[in-house]
Amino acid sequence: MSAPAPASPLFWRFNPEVYRLIGTKCKDCGHITYPRRKICPLCGSLNLEEHKLSRRGTVQTYCINWTVPPGLEPPVPIIVVDLEGGGKYQGVITEVTQAEEVKIGGKVEMVLRKVWTDRGINIYGYKFRLVEEALR
Amino acid sequence: MRGKVAVIGVGMIPFGELFEKGLETMAQEAYINCLKGVDKGIDPKEIKAAWFGQWSGGLIGQGTQGGSGLASMIGQMEIPITRVENGCPTGSDTFRNACLGVASGVYEVTLALGAEKMRDKPGVESLVAAGGGTGAGMGMHPSWMLGGGGPSIQALYATRQMYELGCTMEDYARVAVLNHHNGVSCPYAHYRFEVTVERVLNSPVVCWPLHLLDCCPQTDGAAAALLCRADVAKKYTDKPVYVLGSNIGMDHGNLWDKHNFIEMLSTIRAARGAFEMGGVKPGDVDFAELHDCFTNTELMNIEDIGFCPKGEAHKLLREGQFDRNARLPINPSGGLKAHGHPIAATGLGQICEVFWQLREEADERQVKIKNGIGLQHNVGGPGFGVSGVNILSRTP
Amino acid sequence: MAGIVGYGIYVPKYRLKQADAAMPWGNWASGEKAVCGADEDIITMAAEASEKAVKHAGVNPAQIGSIYIGTASSPYIEQYIAPILAETLELASEATMIDYCGSVNSGANALLGCLDAIESGRIEYGIVIGTEDRATAPGTEGEASFGAAAAALVIGKDGIVADIEGVYTYSTLFIDRWRATSDSWVSSYFDYRFDREFGYEKHLVAASKGLMGKIGKTKEDFKYAVFQQPDERLPGLAGRALGISTELLAPGIASVLGDLGSCSAFISLAGVLDKAKPGERILLTSYGSGSSNAFSIIVRDEIEQKKRNLGFALEKYIERKEYIDYLSYLKTTQTLKRAPY
Repeated sequence: MSAPAPASPLFWRFNPEVYRLIGTKCKDCGHITYPRRKICPLCGSLNLEEHKLSRRGTVQTYCINWTVPPGLEPPVPIIVVDLEGGGKYQGVITEVTQAEEVKIGGKVEMVLRKVWTDRGINIYGYKFRLVEEALR
Repeated sequence: MRGKVAVIGVGMIPFGELFEKGLETMAQEAYINCLKGVDKGIDPKEIKAAWFGQWSGGLIGQGTQGGSGLASMIGQMEIPITRVENGCPTGSDTFRNACLGVASGVYEVTLALGAEKMRDKPGVESLVAAGGGTGAGMGMHPSWMLGGGGPSIQALYATRQMYELGCTMEDYARVAVLNHHNGVSCPYAHYRFEVTVERVLNSPVVCWPLHLLDCCPQTDGAAAALLCRADVAKKYTDKPVYVLGSNIGMDHGNLWDKHNFIEMLSTIRAARGAFEMGGVKPGDVDFAELHDCFTNTELMNIEDIGFCPKGEAHKLLREGQFDRNARLPINPSGGLKAHGHPIAATGLGQICEVFWQLREEADERQVKIKNGIGLQHNVGGPGFGVSGVNILSRTP
Repeated sequence: MAGIVGYGIYVPKYRLKQADAAMPWGNWASGEKAVCGADEDIITMAAEASEKAVKHAGVNPAQIGSIYIGTASSPYIEQYIAPILAETLELASEATMIDYCGSVNSGANALLGCLDAIESGRIEYGIVIGTEDRATAPGTEGEASFGAAAAALVIGKDGIVADIEGVYTYSTLFIDRWRATSDSWVSSYFDYRFDREFGYEKHLVAASKGLMGKIGKTKEDFKYAVFQQPDERLPGLAGRALGISTELLAPGIASVLGDLGSCSAFISLAGVLDKAKPGERILLTSYGSGSSNAFSIIVRDEIEQKKRNLGFALEKYIERKEYIDYLSYLKTTQTLKRAPY
């Protein structure tokens, strides 16, 4: 099954989410999510506003995937992060290959990475990196 | 629903890597076995509507088999047939739709059949197809879904379960040990060999913390059930099995909308609704066929359905409380782990097991029947956002 | 004249020993180089460097009137890379997108273009990014020596930490290293001694001398000489030809990070700015493909007011490392690919 090409409207529509981290927050129940939407997935409210997600957070949970789709090289460590200021974000953690390197509750930050290449075009998005005290 | 629908016959084929059988052959054999499974016989023309569970369709190059696909396969050209797809709970939902067809009063006899051909592609590819690949194919951005797949979502839960609830990878392995042991006694099971905790933990890591033997196999199979109005069931069999409750529960499909990673709201909702429909409680259930696509999932399922409090399942498992001869047998058929997971057929295969167990026709894998109530459960779909629960009983 | 308002750099943490790439082919190399991880490239590196430069500058991204990227590693012949950085930096749609490609002198040309735009009054602030990760092939010099990094400068007239008081360029038709569209790698030097003397030295010296003549300064006026660093010997040879003492030369980075191409001079400049004192004058000269741009930079008092490089000193990036082996390098550069079936 072939996925939509990087030049397709699907990717272009997500530019604000992917590069500027614009999601939505429900003014009634407070649920923060992305992509931007008109109805809160949690409570069904129509009362939503745009919300900028933080680029920093802590690890909620993670796993290290060794069975990946063609075109990706294993391992791919997947992570769900509790973002500062609310909301969660799913992504991949970069510069990590061993489960021991990641701890639930550890601090991570988003960095731009090349996520995929299709028809010669690179698709970029944020991955997470462990916050390194050495670089503070 | 309660009191309106009866299961009058079931049939399936042994699940496995059936390289010599295509989708059509499997569906036909399951259908024939199902007709034969009606004690007093049934004329195929009495079937008034059918629902066809078929999950993969185009995803693994199968082509999308709609309702007309089944009509051709089983020679039922005069009735309405609809294809059902709802992730891993496709089998449960196919059964549920066939129940609704009867409970609504529109059709007297309906057929639910599920069939899945997974092994025409290498094992890993169908595993990956089951997960959605890189996301763009699911209308999402790759950066959010990269590397995601069936195992990765459950692995994310498995990591958090260990952190919050204190279960270990050994506990997960114990699920595999029990289910494989049960599978040895089931002639329809995909795998019929024992495993040990050591063997599971030494198997290759598929998606840390899950090993190869923590994962259910990629399986081919088909299974079917015939349903009719409860008040005419005795025309077909003296031992009908009645539907107490049949429900589907939802949860967010996106992991970042989830409320936590130690329980699945889809299962919780599906089970709660089914119990309410049937007017019964978890404590009334004699045994259950649950969706152990991964070993840690089984522990969550047991808790989410309400058989024990959150965080207790692994402790009860250690004590042997879910063994076939214990208080609450879980997965006497071997579960998805040993019996296999031909996605759309799985739920209906579990229904077959529940049917046979309740009628005490399960041979050496027979469990003790006290209240005459059995429960069937699936969970899955994108982000494990869908669950199906069916509760069956010997009495209406 | 305009000046540097903020700067930021990024160097990947992975390192390959240069000998590991040279010896299997009977070549010789020493030192090590910085290499991208499998999910990094010139754009991801540029994003991190430029984000820090903008923070260091304390400028509102909406005020940045143009983005100038200099690289010899663009993955596209047609398709800008500047707009991707414009997204991550959240620039206004009015900001001009400018990719300078085609040479390791492109970073310096990007700086020149930005200065011209500010002088002309067309823009108030610009961001200049040099970013490099050139294509390599087994057995070539580049595979052993080409490093990866990115450096960014915010240029403007307000909030300057270092003035750019003069610019001079010197160019002739000279074929240095090349990469045609039919090639998937950059060539080795045709002849090191020829390319060194009539390429690097001749142009770099001429540009530096020309700059000094133009602004009426002599070598005694400069505290630092930051030259393009394809390897650690070349700056010394150029310095000798200019009569500049080796003490003035920026520290060697080519033997720890490799030949950084379009950001080579900027990375060395960042290392100098991390330490330079107000009033000190820096000679910055690039070289690539027969072109050399020389800039004279004077550090201002204001450099003390902003935490230099936001704490991400070049030294720290040099220390932050993890070695990979040659096989991993061949995989991440896609020189070795998995067969489809």
